[in-house]
Order: sequence, then structure tokens, then C-alpha cells
Amino acid sequence: MNEPLSAKRRLGLAASGATLLVLGASLLAPLSPGLQVYARGLAFAVLAGLSITAVAFLVALPLGALAASGPRVFDWALRFACDLVGSLPTVFVAAVFWASTSSVFRFVCALGALRGLEQAWLLRCEIVRLEAEDPESVPRGLGRTPLVAFLRRRMSAALGPLFVSASFSVAWLTALDAAVSQAGLRPPSAPPTWGLLLGTPQPGPLPALLAAGSVAWLTVALHALFRPPNAG
Amino acid sequence: MVRLGGAALPYVLPALDSLDPRSRERVALALTPIAVRMEVARADELSDGAQAVLFWTRFWQDRAIDFRAASVRHLASRLAERSIALRREDLIHVDTFALQALIDALGRVDTPSDVARVGRLSAVLAHITELSMPCPPDASVADARRVVDTWRDFWELHGSEYSALDGPRRLAATFVETQYGKWLAAVLHGGLGRTQRGEHASDLVAQGLATTSFLLFVGLGGGFPLGVAWTRFEQRSHKFITRVGSAIAGSALAAIPCATFVRLFASPRAGLLSAVCLVTITTAAWVSRHLARSTMSQSVSPIAAAFSVSAPLGATYPPFVLSAIVLVELVFRLPGLGRTAALSLAAGDVNAWMAASLALASASLLLRHAADLLRPRAAHSPIVSER
Repeated sequence: MNEPLSAKRRLGLAASGATLLVLGASLLAPLSPGLQVYARGLAFAVLAGLSITAVAFLVALPLGALAASGPRVFDWALRFACDLVGSLPTVFVAAVFWASTSSVFRFVCALGALRGLEQAWLLRCEIVRLEAEDPESVPRGLGRTPLVAFLRRRMSAALGPLFVSASFSVAWLTALDAAVSQAGLRPPSAPPTWGLLLGTPQPGPLPALLAAGSVAWLTVALHALFRPPNAG
Repeated sequence: MVRLGGAALPYVLPALDSLDPRSRERVALALTPIAVRMEVARADELSDGAQAVLFWTRFWQDRAIDFRAASVRHLASRLAERSIALRREDLIHVDTFALQALIDALGRVDTPSDVARVGRLSAVLAHITELSMPCPPDASVADARRVVDTWRDFWELHGSEYSALDGPRRLAATFVETQYGKWLAAVLHGGLGRTQRGEHASDLVAQGLATTSFLLFVGLGGGFPLGVAWTRFEQRSHKFITRVGSAIAGSALAAIPCATFVRLFASPRAGLLSAVCLVTITTAAWVSRHLARSTMSQSVSPIAAAFSVSAPLGATYPPFVLSAIVLVELVFRLPGLGRTAALSLAAGDVNAWMAASLALASASLLLRHAADLLRPRAAHSPIVSER
């Protein structure tokens, strides 16, 4: 019972769970307008969550690695960028993003880039921490870590916090969306999402409960999916 | 043209002769509302283009001498001293050209005689600007001060429209006369400007700071150790089902948007305590998930891991926790900076928004740097010494 599941089995379980969720949502959608919003919100959450994770990784991996092990100017620039975007509550940054772009795709990409900066800083901190704890584990020729060794050993060991952060992508997006809706900063042209169900008063509690449960389920599934095989 | 009023006349009227007859008539007719406001003609007298041109040509021949800063300043100071109808009319005859002199003459308000002076000057200012800013004779000193502040704010915002910018002032105006430049000037003068409701933005920050700081420091101060204790409990538990249950509960609590809990707990009785509990639990769940991952593959204690992840968490978590604080303040109607910022953003109140967000940004930066200080440093590590 204590044996951890293999990565393939966890991926299979997560995929089948997501399929079940989508199937359930499409079956429930015709029953009421609220459930229709829930079904459309599910599609948005999954697609936007994936896009945010992809954009965030694209931004975070090179930036984090360069800030940790590259020229010092990258470290300084990343710190400055993180201080700048992190100086305001994320809900306001998201509201400004949403108000300044008419396209949902651009909004999601902007959120992905924002998330990428946060994750780049997480990665940078983790690499620096690992180097500080075990400076001799990677051979250093002429003061420079070979790229292959860096990617194999340092990078793979430092990805843990990134995976935790990635597993919260859907939750992060929904939380922001709900906060923007609740603060009254949601643009009128925005598509119906779970944030709308969770952040504004609804005629019935069922769609909001389903949305909250689905966010939690997706996050727990993603958290389990990203669990390293050696974890107890 | 009508808004610029008398201040534009010294530039428009001398140039009238240089225009072709048709354009001249069009410009002269466009100036009719100014003549009506200046009480020098009636609208029906200037309905014809040729009549209007003749009127304005004669007006400038007779009154050009009145449009001098020194004489207008003298008139304004005389009106400030005593109420005489003729002085009032003379000032109305130069219209917006007298604005700066009138604003300067408002002076300090300490005594009832100052209130009377403000009443006299404010009546002329209201006529010229067509803005309603009454200061009745029985107004209190505080009311008169508020009226003076409002006129000064008006002048700070619109003064450049009624003044000729030349030389270095014109160059400086490219930055100083922007909205940001004016806001920065207000900050440098020791304030943060005035909100749309006429309050000092710095007072708004002072009012909201206590609530937001309390939520932030108690919520984070309680949530972080709670998250560490949670991870410790999860790791020390021998039962597999307890570990899985704790992990699922933590992930779910961190995942379900704070907005959901905020809506569930929103009631007339919900107050600061509920808000603090929500922020604390959200923080604890978030921290416990990060710690669980940080300590999972290593044999380090959660407390040591807490110190080592303080820098990355401190960098990424403050904007998120501040968003939660914005929500609880909004829904529980707590008078904090988050609520002020959200309401002013929705209402387009730039000064209130800038003041509140500046305070929130300072809090966020403070937290990030405080978290960085907690990070343990390896004194002899070559990597650390390089950085």
C-alpha cells in the first residue's frame, strides 16, 4: 500500500480523471445556465492552465538557469523584474493585463510570463541553494560548470519547487480570476470562467461547488503527478 | 477656446487681423460665450459675424491695458481686502486671465475675516471657471480651508492651461505637466495629492495602513509557523492514510480560491478575526505544500527547510497574499489599503490608487527583503562568495 505509483500510472490516472471531469461537465452542461458556465470554465481552466504552465516554463528555465549560473547581470535583472512585478498584489496586475488586452490568449500568455518570472526566481534560488550545500558535486573546469553536467545534475535536482508551482497553475489562475471578479475589475467582454462562478453571487450553489471541487481535484492530481518517484 | 477664456485673448485678439475675413468672423463668433461670461456683451448682440469682429476689435483697443499681470494682481489683492462690486466686475472682465492672481490671493485661512475673503474670491473664481464651489459668509474656518484646497488643486491640475510656458519652463513641462509629473511633484512636496472626494491621499494611507499591516503580519506570522508545523506533522505521521489525507487537505486548501472561502464566511458578523483566520490558513496551506516538496527528497527538518525556502517563498508569495488581503478587506468591508486600492482603481481615482498601491508595494518589497535576510548563507561556499 505504501509503494508509490510509477510515473506512467500516475499520468494515466491523471489523464483518465481529467477525461472523466470533462465528460461529466459536458453531460451536466445542458441542465442549467450555471452548469453551462461550469463546463465552459473547465475548458478554459484546462487550456489556460496548460498554456500558462508552458509559457512559464519557457520563461523560467533559461532565465532561472542564467540568473543562478550565468553572468551576474542576469541575476540582477531577474531580481529587478521580480521586484517590479511582485510589488503589487497579483489581482491588480491581472486586472491591468485583462483590461489592456482584448484577446484572452494574450491575457493568458501575459499571466504565463508573470508566472514564469516567479518560477525563474524559484529556480534560481534552488540552484544557488544546491550549489551552496554541495559545491563539489559537479565538476568545475576553469570556473565553469559543463552544460551537460549542469542540465543533468543541477537542473534536474532544482526543478522540485518549479513542479510544485506548476501544479498550482490552474488554482492560481482560478484564484486570480475569482479575485478580479470579486473586486469588480473583470472586463465585461471576458469569457465565462470558474472565477466568475466563485467570485460573484450565483443563483444556485451547485456550479460554484463543482468549480471549487474541480480546482482542488485538478491541483491534487497535478501535485501527485509531479511527485518525484523517490518520495515516500 | 471658451474654456481657455480671457487667458487666451492676449494671443487670439492681436492675431485676428492676420486672418482672412471668413476665418476672422468664425473665430470672433467662437469667442461669444467668453464675452457673455465676462459680462461685456449679450449673446444676441454678437450673433452676426461682422458685428462680432467689430466688437472684439474695439474691445481689444479699449481693454488691452487691463490684460497685464501687475494690474490684475493689484485688483485681486484689493478685492481680497474689501468687497467692492466694481473690483469684482473688473476681475470678471479679464476672465481666466485673473485666475492665478485670484488663487494666490486666497492665502491662509485662520480667522473669520479670512473666511469672508475666501468667500469673495471664491465667488469670482466660480463665475470665471463655471465650477460650483460655494463658500457662504457663515462657513466655518475648516469649510473655507477645504474650499481653498480645492481651488489650489484645480490650479495645480489645470494651471498650465492658463499660463504661457516659455524657455526652460516649456522644456520642463514635457515631464512636469504630465499626470505622473504632477503626482510626483505632490509626493515631493510631502503629500500624495488629493482624492476625488477631496481627502488627502496620505490620510487615506494612514487610515488603511493599520488594518492591512495587521492582516499581513499576523496572517503571515501565524501562517508560516503553522505551515511548518503542518509539514512536520505530515512527515512524522506513521500512517500512510494520515499522510495522504494531510497532503490532499493541504493541496485543496491551497488550491481552492480564497474568494470561495471569503464568500462562504461573508456575513455582517464577519470581521477582522475571520479575515486574519482566512489569510493565516491560506498561507499555512501554501507554505506546507512548498515545504512538503522541499523536504520530501531530502533528510532535512521542515524548520531548516523553512529557512532555506524563505527567500523564494518570500519573493513569490507576498503579491499573492496581498491579493487575498484585498479580497477579505473588500468583502468584509475592512478599512484597509487593499479595499482602498480596489475601489479607487474601479472608480478611476488616480491619486487614491497611487497612494494605496505605493503603500502596498512598499509592504511587498519589505517582506521580500525580510524573507531574503532569513535565508541561511554558507559562509565558506565558493558559490556564495562569488555572488
